[in-house]
Amino acid sequence: MNDHIEGADISAFLDGALSSAERARADAHLTACDACRRELDSLRHFKLVVASAPRRTLPADLALSLERRCVGPQPRWTILTNPRLWIPMGAVAASALAFSVWARTAAPADELPLEPLLAAHERYSAEALVPQSHLVASSYTDQVTTLYADGSANGEE
Amino acid sequence: MDAQTFAGLIARAGDKAYNFAYRLSGNEQDARDLVQESFMRALEHSGSYDPTRPFDSWLLRILHNVFLDGMRRHSHSRTVSLDAPAPVEDSGWADLLPEDEISSSDELVRRESLDILQKALERVPPLFKSAVVLCDIEGLSYEEIARVTDVPVGTVRSRIHQGRVLLRRAYETLEKSGGRVS
Repeated sequence: MNDHIEGADISAFLDGALSSAERARADAHLTACDACRRELDSLRHFKLVVASAPRRTLPADLALSLERRCVGPQPRWTILTNPRLWIPMGAVAASALAFSVWARTAAPADELPLEPLLAAHERYSAEALVPQSHLVASSYTDQVTTLYADGSANGEE
Repeated sequence: MDAQTFAGLIARAGDKAYNFAYRLSGNEQDARDLVQESFMRALEHSGSYDPTRPFDSWLLRILHNVFLDGMRRHSHSRTVSLDAPAPVEDSGWADLLPEDEISSSDELVRRESLDILQKALERVPPLFKSAVVLCDIEGLSYEEIARVTDVPVGTVRSRIHQGRVLLRRAYETLEKSGGRVS
């Protein structure tokens, strides 16, 4: 049989792209023509080889880059409206609040008030440096005078 | 169409676009560049997208145009022209292949079947290659391929067959040479 099917029609037959009339003619010819049938089988095999090529997927970094470029830079306020950030932002705020409350209320129990200590220190310094005769009367001076006068400081009895 | 919606469409069509770009260009870096440029053009012209038509086809059409633009701008070492006469007879296309690519004795490398296929794809003129890739790898119908490549269905039918014949010949040539490439 010399009236072979055109090559493009064999491919279209393979792809199911022929009209019903074209397909009927091709079917009839393929039944009788070894050459066209061999060509059809060869193309079918090769189509499977091509189709077996593994599919490549969009790299994640490229997808992210494209998404950012499409959406554009986000305004700052939209970051606050992002629900995914609500939980970590809330946790940070709660931690800050708890720390400030603790810092105000949890002063160490053995801490001494500073002001009375300074006042006592100044008073003691003044009494030690100023001559005895110039000292003004104070309860502390009276106690020291009394102590040395009766000799109890030296163990005399 | 707002940017968020558009980003969603791109996320859905991204894999298909990247796979098409990879098969057309033959390497990852060129595929990335193709995809990036295509998406930027798509975003720039998103107003011309008809939401009643498949987004995939529209995006692949842009990508195909970007690819052809690139081929026209830069001479490709293995490409004769975008629509070189398709020598489907035995005396045709093989004669156009560089001799050193068929029987190179330098850097002998054993390629697996899929590597050979990709190498063979690189030897097919772009217009025939894109038709075969869209049909056999992407699984598009002849009508969809006609929309992507902007040619009549009859032209698609012709390109697919000629592309297959060219690809098969290049594949068999590489296979016979043991996958040796320069």
